Amino acid sequence: MNDMELLRELAQETPLPAPAELAGARARLVAAITADPAAGRLTAGPETALDQPGPSNGPAGPLRPPVPAPVRDAVLLMYGGAVGTAIQLIIALFYIGDIGAYHLTVGTHSLTTAQLVHLRPVIVTLVIFYALVVIALWLWLARAVGRGRNWARILSTVLFGAATLELAGLHSAGQVFWAVLPWLTGLAAVLQLWRPASSAFFRSARALRSRPPSQISGP
Amino acid sequence: MRRRRGSAAADDAAVIESSWREPERFAVLFDRHAPHIHRYLARRAGREVAGDLVAETFLAAFAKRDRYDLSRADARPWLYGIATNLVGQHRRDEARQYRISQAAPAEPEVPGHAERVAADVTAQAMRPLLDAVLAALPAGDRDVLLLIAWEQLTYQEVSQALAIPVGTVRSRLNRARTKVRQALAGTDAAATYEEITTNE
Repeated sequence: MNDMELLRELAQETPLPAPAELAGARARLVAAITADPAAGRLTAGPETALDQPGPSNGPAGPLRPPVPAPVRDAVLLMYGGAVGTAIQLIIALFYIGDIGAYHLTVGTHSLTTAQLVHLRPVIVTLVIFYALVVIALWLWLARAVGRGRNWARILSTVLFGAATLELAGLHSAGQVFWAVLPWLTGLAAVLQLWRPASSAFFRSARALRSRPPSQISGP
Repeated sequence: MRRRRGSAAADDAAVIESSWREPERFAVLFDRHAPHIHRYLARRAGREVAGDLVAETFLAAFAKRDRYDLSRADARPWLYGIATNLVGQHRRDEARQYRISQAAPAEPEVPGHAERVAADVTAQAMRPLLDAVLAALPAGDRDVLLLIAWEQLTYQEVSQALAIPVGTVRSRLNRARTKVRQALAGTDAAATYEEITTNE
């Protein structure tokens, strides 16, 4: 017998409690359950439900676990990111006429004024297209994350990494100022998505999806 | 003997999931696990407070059931984790409990089978020393040691219960066991213990 077995032997001296010893604790739990806003919605009374272990026969249950606060915050931040990008697009379109040829370079060469005039419709189109893609990504990922899709969390993190690289590659203060707000929004969202409560939520959502329909309390 | 690991354990996640919509279902979890959680708390903090602590454990679990990871079919590590945190809040009491039990006179022997008598003698001989060793262990090491030795959780389950990596579980357990072995080595109690186990 080793030290662990000796500890177990000592532990066996403590018997399991008699049911009466647990009655007080159970009564406190039942009181908390009864006070819960969701309690009492069953067709059967609480007493019946409390005393009927086994698969749920109750009404339709959730197909997804409740969204924890960090994921809710992340979703709100991502919607905020979409709104922010839309605002940036409007501002960009408003001031796009002020862009001078010297602002744009191809390689190490600045565009000429003639080239700028020629390319301006293309530039406007690209700016709008890029902003719409970014807005769509914010909205799509926010929706998927709120539904507990783990791939959306991973993709969000990857895109945030790409945004970080892009930010690191910027040189002018104006460009950094322009890009830093969405980056900070993304940073806050990604941090929320990887908190322990968020991880449990994504694992729970996956477990629910992989469970056979008969084992899920909902339809 | 390790407790159930079968279909009942697999139902814990389903019970918790259904309790999101039907809170009444959570009582099933109490009926399944409260006796063992109570015994664990009685060992850790004393029988007189175990009732309160088990109630607090399940109230806390009920309050945060929507954050339960449904990929974990067995809810025991989760419940033991909550219970251990509550014990942590009572750590001063726990240390005092060990000191009191050290000072307390040995309980009278209850006649019974020979094996039981031998076990009682062993336990009585070793208890004061073990209590002192356990009281001297760092809290984290003690949590790991007792969850594994008393509640027979696996390393993975202890990792889940205490929210620490499995590697940390291993290192804490090794450290705790080394201290226990060192404390037991060469003592009269250990000699008594060896004598009894040899005679068996």
